[in-house]
Amino acid sequence: MAEEPESVLQLPPSTASGGEGLSEVSPETVTPEPPSSAAVSPGTEEPAGDIKKKIDILLKAVGDTPIMKTKKWAVERTRTIQGLIDFIKKFLKLVASEQLFIYVNQSFAPSPDQEVGTLYECFGSDGKLVLHYCKSQAWG
Amino acid sequence: MTDDRDVLRDVWFGRIPTCFTLCQDEITEREAEPYYLLLPRVSYLTLVTDKVKKHFQKVMRQEDISEIWFEYEGTPLKWHYPIGLLFDLLASSSALPWNITVHFKSFPEKDLLHCPSKDAIEAHFMSCMKEADALKHKSQVINEMQKKDHKQLWMGFQNDRFDQFWAINRKLMEYPAEENGFRYIPFRIYQTTTERPFIQKLFRPVAADGQLHTLGDLLKEVCPSAVAPEDGGKKNQVMIHGIEPMLETPLQWLSEHLSYPDNFLHISIIPQPTD
Repeated sequence: MAEEPESVLQLPPSTASGGEGLSEVSPETVTPEPPSSAAVSPGTEEPAGDIKKKIDILLKAVGDTPIMKTKKWAVERTRTIQGLIDFIKKFLKLVASEQLFIYVNQSFAPSPDQEVGTLYECFGSDGKLVLHYCKSQAWG
Repeated sequence: MTDDRDVLRDVWFGRIPTCFTLCQDEITEREAEPYYLLLPRVSYLTLVTDKVKKHFQKVMRQEDISEIWFEYEGTPLKWHYPIGLLFDLLASSSALPWNITVHFKSFPEKDLLHCPSKDAIEAHFMSCMKEADALKHKSQVINEMQKKDHKQLWMGFQNDRFDQFWAINRKLMEYPAEENGFRYIPFRIYQTTTERPFIQKLFRPVAADGQLHTLGDLLKEVCPSAVAPEDGGKKNQVMIHGIEPMLETPLQWLSEHLSYPDNFLHISIIPQPTD
């Protein structure tokens, strides 16, 4: 079986900044990444810098935390860390009472109300924000 | 300079006279008297209000008490924002004392984070410090510290011990001899008039030509509406720790002297008060 290319999927839109509802999302507005499965029209021009509504996040598991099958996500800038945590927990089928910690730069855990857009601005590199997630406190 | 060190002390020991009143909706067994307290500008509400909590719980039944939360004129107060920031942003144009309403029920889940323990405050504080150092020194300085140094920062902060805190924090204010400042300045700009919680971006303290960037340079770059030219005299106040620093102040100096203990410059943009 050929290795499935990393696909950039849409994080489902949230109704409130924290609330999550998983729904089928069409990939038509996916940010340009190489996967063959996503229907990205080559003519789509990605507006530069701040105007880009979504940012790319790469999720990495720490320790024995389950690994997400899809690691790359296009996320709205205003999505909060709590919103992301709720989404990952649902995706990994974790119980609500189980904790999940998210780290930036493998050094600090941003506040749950932090917007990913701000984190991307300050700590993104190579066009994406890398976030490590863990069921226990990894970096204090 | 001795003067500069005095600034550090003035910032650390800033206080806001506050009057805490129990919300009228709360059920009490006796009349609840207001409670007066001087709040440290640089601390967090849930860290310094144990006495407030005890005072009001004395007149309430156990079953009517759940997590305490605070509100000012209808706005729930985020415990994870420094007290001085909350005051400057929401109440600086009002007369003292700052009148805060205390609640023990109907916790506003959408507006506030829970504060389950002192450990949660410590975790938040240390995370802010780490984020600040990620910007200033690519985390090198804070990561080189031992666990006991981190503990000393927290204990010094929690116990209002200026010297204990700054014995370690001074290392976070240093920069390589060949540079003229930090890599990027940790700052957050808050306005009540916008949807976004705050503005935080990468901004260097020194320009390519070696000139020191000023507070005015920062605002022009990341929040130009705040310092818009006089159109009908609608200029805003740019406030840190209750004062309006001159816009010509070098940002590097502000970062070293007017940061909060979390090493961030928390800047409020507020409408000019109309007296």
